[in-house]
Amino acid sequence: MINRTDLVVSVVLLAVCGALYYVTSTFDEVSPLFAQDVPPERFPRMLLWIIAGLSLVLPFEQRLRGKRGAVLDKARSEPVHPVVYLTGGFLVLAVAAIQLIGTFLVLVSVCLGLPLLWNERRWKIIVPFVLLFPALVMLLFGHVLGVYFEPGILGIKLP
Amino acid sequence: MDAVLQGILLMADPMNIGLIFVAVLIGVIVGALPGLSSPMAVALLLPFTISMEPVPAISMMAALYCAGTFGGSICAILINAPGAPPAVATAFDGYPMAKRGEAGRALGIAAISSISGGIFSLIIFLVATPLLAKIATSFRPMEYFALAVFALSMLASISGKSPVRNLIAGAVGVLLGTVGIHLTTGVERFTFDLPVMTGGIGFVPVLIGLFALAELLNQSEAADKAYERIKAVVVKLPTREDFRRIWGTILRSSGIGTFIGVLPAEGATVAAIMGYNEAKRWSKHKEEFGTGCPEGIAGPEAANNAATGGAMVPTLALGIPGSATTAVILAALIMHGFRPGPYLMKQTPEFVYAIFAAMLLANFMFLVIGLAGAKVFSRITLIPRSFLWPAVFVFALVGSYSYGASLMDVWVMLIAGFIGFVMLRHSFAPAPLVMGLILGKLVEESFSQSMILLDNQWWRLLESPIVDFFFVLTVLSLCWPLISTRFGRGG
Repeated sequence: MINRTDLVVSVVLLAVCGALYYVTSTFDEVSPLFAQDVPPERFPRMLLWIIAGLSLVLPFEQRLRGKRGAVLDKARSEPVHPVVYLTGGFLVLAVAAIQLIGTFLVLVSVCLGLPLLWNERRWKIIVPFVLLFPALVMLLFGHVLGVYFEPGILGIKLP
Repeated sequence: MDAVLQGILLMADPMNIGLIFVAVLIGVIVGALPGLSSPMAVALLLPFTISMEPVPAISMMAALYCAGTFGGSICAILINAPGAPPAVATAFDGYPMAKRGEAGRALGIAAISSISGGIFSLIIFLVATPLLAKIATSFRPMEYFALAVFALSMLASISGKSPVRNLIAGAVGVLLGTVGIHLTTGVERFTFDLPVMTGGIGFVPVLIGLFALAELLNQSEAADKAYERIKAVVVKLPTREDFRRIWGTILRSSGIGTFIGVLPAEGATVAAIMGYNEAKRWSKHKEEFGTGCPEGIAGPEAANNAATGGAMVPTLALGIPGSATTAVILAALIMHGFRPGPYLMKQTPEFVYAIFAAMLLANFMFLVIGLAGAKVFSRITLIPRSFLWPAVFVFALVGSYSYGASLMDVWVMLIAGFIGFVMLRHSFAPAPLVMGLILGKLVEESFSQSMILLDNQWWRLLESPIVDFFFVLTVLSLCWPLISTRFGRGG
């Protein structure tokens, strides 16, 4: 009758809605000058009620949709592969390192690290990819479009 | 007529034509690569175009949109792996035809059907956009509110697995749009005392995160998977016999695709599936479907490309996106200082017609590129994913950073990507969230203005017949998934 995974999703959504509803009660008081306007918390609260209401349907959705409901479990039928966590962690580290080592070195690290993480060992492709691709992208955005990139504390950037 | 000519002249600049050519090339490549999609490519292109003039910037995006939809058919036909969701139905008959050694014929039928659908929808675009904009100029905030609510309700039936999840994602998108300073009262909402949040959540990082990074994480599970090598093919234009069989299907599917495209939120995928189903329903050779039937390729291809022109109509005339990709284009219009909607047509009609000219040009370009470059594009899938996706991330990082030269935007992109990945696993489509985010401001502003005009008596909204009309449509679109399920079971 109830899909357990969807029940968890539903509970998480309801908890987030509850927390955000509380946050709406902490919004600043509106000046009397704007008393005739719609209060700032009204619209977000309406949305939170809608999300919460729809979330209550989630655990029963598979049941309600009969055979067609099976498709909802397809993407999550297998556990998340460890490489996804590793990839996610690597990307977080890469972004966190921008201020330290600068954008250019981060791009180089991404172009080297991700293929290696994904079992790519064809060095004849890896080496030119790592050397050329980040440099071309930096040249395009930095020189052609005039974007300023973080050089990091090491101060490494393209001339 | 003057505005049409001015628009075409604006577009005729050699630099613009060159940029459109580049966008078409990128579009066909992106469309041909499984996993990469038009919304993702347009989102990645957005930061690149911010510093450009509005005409080439938006034209590039529109051209990429057209070409990306066509490009999806290449891999659908050659390796049974649709490069983009709108090409799913093309694979049903395209791949069997290719398997029996007629890949060139299948690609030829796809190319001719695509351009026919595209041009048909652009004629409708040319006629319908000013008419719709003219009607919409009489809309008051309450009518706009009702229209936006109708557009959001259409998310229930958008191509996805679950109407409930689509609506939740749409509402979350609208909620995200409320982050920042409330325009009428100046109160900070959901900023958590972080100064970077007072301006609200930027479209660009969220779009890039949801479309690009979420898919990267999704694809990382099979990053070492390789597609089969494809034999080089020469595209053959349809024979007279083929034309005799497919012209009716092309015409019908072009109409269906344009209509579906004009509907808010519905995009090329829904159009293609409907185009395929109708082609089968009307065909005299039903038994051939699934075995390499020409109508089975022409139907979805004409429909999905017709949806691109159709989707631009509500985007430009009403400021309501017709699909996920046009939602990104809408965001780009806002960033370039335009106010999408009836006043865009009223104040800068030549700009709208320049986009029309760009899309028309893109249709001819992808036909030529598609026909001449099939051999090359058929080898695109040989690009290892282990290099393709890091390249996508590099563009995602640089693109989201360059949007506001802020590392905060990169973090937003990263967080949006992780949320998008979790959403995909639990069958929440990212497109409704994006549409909600982009429509959010319109919904709240029109709601607030309506309430002020109506002295906070919300029931007076129903005094307007246009509001009633849109609310009836809203109820119908919300009930449609239930009705269609019933019909499905009954059948």
